[in-house]
Amino acid sequence: MSPLQEFAPIAVLLIIAVLVAIIISIISRLFGPYKPTSRKVSPYESGMKPIGSASRRYSIRFYLVAVLFILFDIEVVFFLPWAVVFRDMGLYALAAMGVFTLVLTIGLIYEWKVGALEWE
Amino acid sequence: MENTGLSLVTVVLFLPLVGFSILLFIPDAQSRNIKYTALGTSLVTFALSLVMWANFDAANPALQMVQRWEWLPQYGIGYYVGIDGLNMIMVVLTTFIMSIGILSSFNAHVIQERGREKLYYLFMLLLQWAMIGVFVVQDLIIFYIFWEVTLVPMYFLVGIWGGEKRVYAAVKFFLYTMAGSILMLLALLYVGTQAGTFAVPEIIAGIQAGTISFPLDGLFSTQSILFLGFFIAFAIKVPIWPLHSWLPDAHVQAPTAGSVILAGVLLKMGSYGMIRFLLPMFPEASVAWAPIIALLAVIGIIYGAWVSFAQTDMKKLVAYSSVSHMGFIVLGIFAMTSIGIQGSIIQMVNHGISTGGLFLIVGMLYERRHTKDLAAFGGIWKAMPLLGAISLVVVLSSMGMPGLNGFIGEFTILLGSMGSTVLGIGFTVVAALGIILAAIYMLNFFQRIFMGELDKEENKNLPKLEWNEIAVLVPIVVLAIWIGLQPAPFMNPSDATVESLVAQVVPDTTTVAQLPEAGQGE
Amino acid sequence: MLQLPSLETLNMGAALPAISIAAWACILLLIDLWIPKDRKILTVYLAAGNLVFAFIANLLVFNQSGDSFMGMYVADQFSGVMNLIIIGTALLSIVLSFDYLKRVGIERGEYYVLVLFVTAGAMFMAAANDLILIFVALELLSIPLYVLSAFRAPDIRSEEAGMKYFLLGAFASAFLVFGGAMVYGATGTTNLNEIAASAGMIIASNSSTSLFLLLGAALLLVGLGFKVAAVPFHEWTPDVYEGAPTPVTAFMSVAAKLGGFGSLLRILVVGMSAVTMTAGEPAVWQNVVAILAGLTMIVGNIVALSQANIKRMLAYSSIANAGYILMAVAAAGSPGLANEATRGALVYMLAYMFTNMGAFAVVIAVERANGGADLEHFVGLGKARPMLAIMMVVFMMSLTGIPLTGGFIGKALVFATTLNAGLVWLAIIGVLTSVVSAYYYVRVIVNMFLRDAEASTEEATPGYSTGVQWVAAVALGGTVLLGVLPTLITVLTDRVSLVASITP
Repeated sequence: MSPLQEFAPIAVLLIIAVLVAIIISIISRLFGPYKPTSRKVSPYESGMKPIGSASRRYSIRFYLVAVLFILFDIEVVFFLPWAVVFRDMGLYALAAMGVFTLVLTIGLIYEWKVGALEWE
Repeated sequence: MENTGLSLVTVVLFLPLVGFSILLFIPDAQSRNIKYTALGTSLVTFALSLVMWANFDAANPALQMVQRWEWLPQYGIGYYVGIDGLNMIMVVLTTFIMSIGILSSFNAHVIQERGREKLYYLFMLLLQWAMIGVFVVQDLIIFYIFWEVTLVPMYFLVGIWGGEKRVYAAVKFFLYTMAGSILMLLALLYVGTQAGTFAVPEIIAGIQAGTISFPLDGLFSTQSILFLGFFIAFAIKVPIWPLHSWLPDAHVQAPTAGSVILAGVLLKMGSYGMIRFLLPMFPEASVAWAPIIALLAVIGIIYGAWVSFAQTDMKKLVAYSSVSHMGFIVLGIFAMTSIGIQGSIIQMVNHGISTGGLFLIVGMLYERRHTKDLAAFGGIWKAMPLLGAISLVVVLSSMGMPGLNGFIGEFTILLGSMGSTVLGIGFTVVAALGIILAAIYMLNFFQRIFMGELDKEENKNLPKLEWNEIAVLVPIVVLAIWIGLQPAPFMNPSDATVESLVAQVVPDTTTVAQLPEAGQGE
Repeated sequence: MLQLPSLETLNMGAALPAISIAAWACILLLIDLWIPKDRKILTVYLAAGNLVFAFIANLLVFNQSGDSFMGMYVADQFSGVMNLIIIGTALLSIVLSFDYLKRVGIERGEYYVLVLFVTAGAMFMAAANDLILIFVALELLSIPLYVLSAFRAPDIRSEEAGMKYFLLGAFASAFLVFGGAMVYGATGTTNLNEIAASAGMIIASNSSTSLFLLLGAALLLVGLGFKVAAVPFHEWTPDVYEGAPTPVTAFMSVAAKLGGFGSLLRILVVGMSAVTMTAGEPAVWQNVVAILAGLTMIVGNIVALSQANIKRMLAYSSIANAGYILMAVAAAGSPGLANEATRGALVYMLAYMFTNMGAFAVVIAVERANGGADLEHFVGLGKARPMLAIMMVVFMMSLTGIPLTGGFIGKALVFATTLNAGLVWLAIIGVLTSVVSAYYYVRVIVNMFLRDAEASTEEATPGYSTGVQWVAAVALGGTVLLGVLPTLITVLTDRVSLVASITP
């Protein structure tokens, strides 16, 4: 089996996903009511106005939170595969993940102590 | 050969460093102690170098008083010193000139003006150490180390205590010589790594035995390129026309003692290097390049003399006369006859004495009048008869007057180049012309300063010579006359070594017997 | 089936020096939180104590070769010598930093923690025998350096330095990862020994796989070339060096180079030395590295000529010095020369470490006393502070390569091995650019000694603080000792043998 063939299921999945998305849009366009207004056809941006100056000011804290979020989010990415095979790997895996968690915990304590988690 | 204790050569080499260390601990303010420590160090070194001479066996062509220590054994680099006929007299010259140089700076105006007296003498002793090292070391890398180290103190001597344009001159001196020597570094690294050792006698033995060979086919093959790598470094130091342009600047801007040492010893490092390294390590290339180099040397003789004649600045005049005189030395070396090389060696000593003397005289005049313009002088004999008389001897010695030392050197060099198998007679003829030119510019120099009417008001009340000024000039005059009348004791030590050297380089032109294994062929 | 390693097979003891620093850095980060702001000297002691511990531990295990983490980390004499140099750099720069941080008001404990992280990263890089570990170590080395560059944060130049370094460093990392992926694609392994085992065959097969391998090697070279500031990947260097706090500049100009060259030598010598067109010929990368080295020396030295700021001048000089080390790397591509070249590079790096740290110590002292690090600020230093000026002379001479200094020994060894490799043209470029470099190094000396101070010497501001004084003195001692008695270090470097670990 060549390496590419191993990825065949993923390719099938991709094709199905694209097809489903297209089919649903077509069906809803065909059968749903369609009364466009300017609000309705404008892109949805979490409630923000999509048109205007791009360099609006945000509070710096958003970035801090975003960075912290990414950090601990990535942590989960590591945790998930580990949790799946944890039973087969035994003590070694536990120790390895222990070190990983410890380092993260040190980071967390540090953040806490220097006040990065507070929203003044 | 190898002895366990300290060799006398090592002692002579490291004495200046001992003085250097003592000097470090003398407070800046104790001017007297600083001066006399420096002088004492150089005098003791000089005395020991004379002892070295006394113990030297002139009949033995090999290295004597050898000392070897390991330094970087895995690369074949080691501390390896020894003296033979080539370098013994150079060491004595160095210690002699250094004593003169230090003594002559005792009441130098420029040191009082710029201060930092201790630093000055520290650099002097460092320079002495490095120069002795260049002459006695027999290992290529260590040689290079000493060679480069001479740059640093000289750079500071010119740069701190020099004349108006001292910074320019010092930087030019540094870059010029470094550019030359760093190519030599490549060449000597190549030689050493190919040979597996950096010990020069072993490399030469290997070349003689044919176990090490650098092919020479054509003017730009391996051996030629290596030869040029070394040659350019030496040629810049000597300096050979057209690589001389740093010399007038450095000489003119250097303080008096700096000029004396520069002319007396530093330039000789180049010509010594040619004899020590170029000829035996690259014999075929030396023969192949000899006519070209001799041509440059002869051009240098005439050019130096010519430009010297046109100068109105005393120091520049003497500086260019150096270019001319050093041309003779190079010509003698590349004549590749034992007479020529011996003549070159003795001429190195002569040039050190007479040009050193000239710079001292110029320095003394400058101290009194604060100008180096020839036109500012005239009739000084009447104001300073003693200086005038001494100057006459030195000037005559410099122009090669029979009965004085300059004649001996130039005569033997011309004799040697006449009998040369690698050079034509034309070189000798043109070089002889240089002697006539020398007479013209030297006498011109003497006449415009000392002869004529004492017509300038400032010159009428020049202070008499100080005791230390007399003390530095008298040995120079004595030596000039001594070598001129009785050159044998100064020339004999190099006999045996030069004979065997020439036998190695041009085997077919000598009468020495051990030729069959010496020849190595292409 | 997955092979589960046990603690014994991990053999973490061999990696103890590096691990101890990384672990202690984490702990120190916490400890520092409870150290009051006016007693930050305690953090310095704790960090320095750890470095000293690692230094001694490294010496103790110097002769024991071994590998940790299933061959990813190799503790051999090469990494042993590298570790000594890296730890030495970190120690000197910590001592150098303390007063500086206090003076400019950025005294924070994180500084020392970051330095420890960088140190650990560099040590891991020098010992990494696996492309993945090399990448991780590179990040461990780089990311704290980005932060350190911007450590003087309200200062706009420092911020610019951090930003610039971060963006370009991220690019470099991407190149490295991409290169690693390509090499993995070609050989099916990330372990350098295994890459070495299959590389020769792949090149000989001359298939498209060999193209992948070569492209991968080239991209790895680009990534590490950024780190060591080789031309044409050097553009970030001057701005970052000038903007970063001076002790950081001193530290990163050496530490990043050490890490980069450690990995470069391992990748090229251990992993890629068999990448030759025909057996017995130099590796294919030799010419590429040689050209990089030549360019680096030429550009670094020539641009340095026109710098009026000493920090910038030293930045370009550090580019140029990367070129000289690259010369040795190129020479390592010739069969049979790898060890000699590696030893030359190690001696060179040690000499550069001492010299550069010393030069920066003097720069810090001058910055403090005269308010800046332009050439003009050095005028008359020889009169105002002779000791400092004489030290600077020695460092400048060492950078030029004048004998009796470590710089000369390093250069001589590097030139010798380059000549042995037959790269005569490269050696000639090397010496000619050395002459060029002499000009701008000598200019510093000219300003210190030959130009009399026009003003400002009488004020006699308190010369330099104890820390700076110590670093300058130690660096001076190291530079001179290395120049006079090089055996002291060659005794260690002689045992370095990178090729021997090639059998998988």
